[in-house]
Amino acid sequence: MKSSTATENLFIDAEASDPLDRTTQEHHFDRLVVANGPALTRLAASYTNTLSDRDDLLQEIATALWQALPRFRGECSERTFLFRIAHNRAIAHLARSRSQPVAGEEVEVHDPAPDPEAELVGKQRVEHLRRAIHHLPVVYRQVITLSLEGLGYGEIAEVLGISESNVGVRLTRARQILRESLENQQ
Amino acid sequence: MNVDTELEVWRQQWQSDATVPLDLRRKVERQSRFMKMSLIGEILVTAIIGGAIAGWAARSPEPGIVLLAVGTWVYIAIAWTFGLMVNRGNWSPSAQDTAVFIDLSVRRCRSRLAAVWFAVVMFLLQVAFVLGWVYHYSPAHRTPFLTWLFFGSVPIDIVWLCIGAFFGFLVWYQRRKRAELAYLVGLKEQYQ
Repeated sequence: MKSSTATENLFIDAEASDPLDRTTQEHHFDRLVVANGPALTRLAASYTNTLSDRDDLLQEIATALWQALPRFRGECSERTFLFRIAHNRAIAHLARSRSQPVAGEEVEVHDPAPDPEAELVGKQRVEHLRRAIHHLPVVYRQVITLSLEGLGYGEIAEVLGISESNVGVRLTRARQILRESLENQQ
Repeated sequence: MNVDTELEVWRQQWQSDATVPLDLRRKVERQSRFMKMSLIGEILVTAIIGGAIAGWAARSPEPGIVLLAVGTWVYIAIAWTFGLMVNRGNWSPSAQDTAVFIDLSVRRCRSRLAAVWFAVVMFLLQVAFVLGWVYHYSPAHRTPFLTWLFFGSVPIDIVWLCIGAFFGFLVWYQRRKRAELAYLVGLKEQYQ
């Protein structure tokens, strides 16, 4: 499980200075993006079909985060705050794109590392997992991606606004679908 | 496979993709600047059109010109109020939980669909007012109104083209919003 210590207590200064000055905001934003950039990118990829869509969504999430930062007062943990913004923007993106034609190009995960055979198998597994998650219904996709990012039931419940027991039910169902989907791919 | 081990394996596989697009902050700053420039642009256009017409009415205070200036400013005021109401919260921080956010998005979507009809009424009133004014206060009123309206001149033809384009846009926008609303309502049911 990934720890959120890298960004914990990031907003202590933010609470002291109201509103945030530009430099402080830039500093906080950069630190949050550095600590959570890969997680946000994976999340954006799970909601989109193409690399350009993923980058558009990521930029949208980053803009929403940039605008929300000055008003964050620590009512919830930073991770909850960050993932709430990310999932909300992703849902808005999904709702919009449902009414527009979706391009056919699939997202490809680029890895700068060399490509020996052993790594290829691992990459294929990752790609199968990513595709299987991408095809989950949104409500299951949300709980599984949050769980895979290391959030506990309580945090997932806080992000999504549902009860912890509901998180448990959805996660069990998501895992079941995912397992079946992965078995079918093999 | 043990279930917890299974989740841990998936977690490792999932987190192994650590791609991050470059220059995210630069892109965000550029987008924020673009949003500010758009707003400034809208204010400038309003100020130029409203200012020019008010200046014209101040220099030549004839009833027709004063009427045009008042009509234009009433329209500007209504259009701005309407625009602010519809776009309120568009880019506001969306840090509520997902269930609340979906509920809010459904309400926003419904208000935007309702706004389409308001826009139609406003646009038709404005076009009727401007065309009526031009017909009444120009030599055109010697020509029969319908002849002038449909075969009057190139500028009037351009007005018809703009009306057509505007309604085309509204139909497209309404379809898009309806599809968005249907999706959000379906999603909302799963959060209740």
